[in-house]
Amino acid sequence: MTVARGFAVFAIAAILVGCGASSVTIEGTYPTPNVARLPLKVAVYYDPALRDFTYTEYSETGREEYNIQSGQSHVDLFNAILPGMFEEVVQIDSLDQAAGLGVDAIFEPLIEEFQLALPQKTRLDVYEVWIKYNLRLTEPDGEYIADWVETSYGKTTLESFRSSEASINAAAVIALRDLASSFTLKFANVPEVRDWLASL
Amino acid sequence: MTILSAMKKSAFNDFTLVLAGLLLASCTNTTVDEFRQGETGIESHESIVILGRRQASDYETRADFVDCVGDQVNSGSDRINVVPEQVFVDALFPWFEPRTAPLRTQDLERLMGEELVAEKIDEFGIRYIVWVDGFTETTGRSGSISCAIGPGGGGCFGFGSWEDDSEFDARIWDVDQLASVGTISTDATGQSYLPALVVPIPLLARVEANACSSLANQLKSFVNGS
Repeated sequence: MTVARGFAVFAIAAILVGCGASSVTIEGTYPTPNVARLPLKVAVYYDPALRDFTYTEYSETGREEYNIQSGQSHVDLFNAILPGMFEEVVQIDSLDQAAGLGVDAIFEPLIEEFQLALPQKTRLDVYEVWIKYNLRLTEPDGEYIADWVETSYGKTTLESFRSSEASINAAAVIALRDLASSFTLKFANVPEVRDWLASL
Repeated sequence: MTILSAMKKSAFNDFTLVLAGLLLASCTNTTVDEFRQGETGIESHESIVILGRRQASDYETRADFVDCVGDQVNSGSDRINVVPEQVFVDALFPWFEPRTAPLRTQDLERLMGEELVAEKIDEFGIRYIVWVDGFTETTGRSGSISCAIGPGGGGCFGFGSWEDDSEFDARIWDVDQLASVGTISTDATGQSYLPALVVPIPLLARVEANACSSLANQLKSFVNGS
C-alpha cells in the first residue's frame, strides 16, 4: 500500500514537473567593439526592470511554456560594449548618484518588448528572438538629451541534437549582439545625440 | 536444417542483398563550378578567413559547414592558413555581424577606411575573405517505420527514404585589390535510406560532407592559383 502511494506521489510529481515551464537563462559572451572611443565619461544605470527582465512564452492552450531570464545578459552586454565606446564608464545604483561623479551623461537602457517565435508555432525551421529597447541619455541632473528606440533580431536554425532551450539561448545571444552592433555604430548618429556631441 | 531455419536464412540473405543495393544507391552526386575574375596566389605568412552569409530571412549558412570548409582548407600538403570565423568576427566586432557585414566589395573598401578595422585585418594577415552562402534542403521524404516494445523485447519494422540537396557558393574577395576574384559553386545531392528489420539501419548519403570537401579542395587550388 505504501509502495503504491509512493508510486502515485512520484507519478503526480513527474506529471507536474512535465507540465511546468522550462526556464532559460540567457548566457553569452560579448566582444568589445572596435570603434574609436568618444572622449566622454558616462554613467550607466541599470533599472531593476532591466536587471530582472523575464519573458514568459505561453503555449497555444495558455500554459506557461518558457520563462526566459535575459536581464543579467543585458547587463553583461552593456558592460562589455560601453567601455569600448566611451573613455570612461561608471556604473551607478541610482540616478541621483551621478551628480557628484563628474560624468558627462547618464545612459539608461530599458527593454520595451520581447518576442519569441518557436518552430512549432511558426512552422519554420528557425527559432527567432526580437527585442525592442528604449535607450535614454540624460544630463547628470536628469535633463533630457536623447531618448530613442532600437530593435534587435536573432535567429538560429532548428538542429537535430540541440535542445529548444539551447536554441532559444543562441537566438537571444545573436539578438543581443545585433543590438550591440547597431547601438555602437548608430549612437553618434542619433539626431539628438549628434546635436549634443556637437554642443560639447 | 528445418524449413523454418532455411526460410530465415533466405530472408536474411535477401535483406543483405537489399542493404548492399541501398549502400551502393545511397551515393552522392557532386558538381563544382568555378568562375574566375582575377589572378590569385597566397604567401605562406598570409591567411584567409571563411565567413558564412547570414542575411537571408528564410535560411542561414550554418557555422558547422563554414568550420568544415575551414578545417579542410587548413589541412593537407597544400594547406592555407585559415582564421577561424568566430575569432575573426569577435575581433572585428561590430563590423562583420549579420546586419553590418559588407555585402559588396565597395562596402569592404569603405570598411577598410576605418583605421581599427584595417589594423585588425592586417594583424591577422588576411589576404582573402571568402563568403560562403547556402544551405542543405531535405525533400522527398517517404515511407514509414513502426516500433513496438513488449515484455519479450522490442523492435522496429519499415522503410524510410529522403533526398538531401546541398547548394553552396563561395565568393572570394581579394583584400589587397579590394575586388572580387571569383566564385566557386557546389551542388551535391544524394538519397538516404533507413530500412528497419528489428533494428533501424541508417544508410546516409554524406551530401553536406561531400559538398564541404569538394568546395574546400576547389577553394584551395583557386586561392593557391593552381
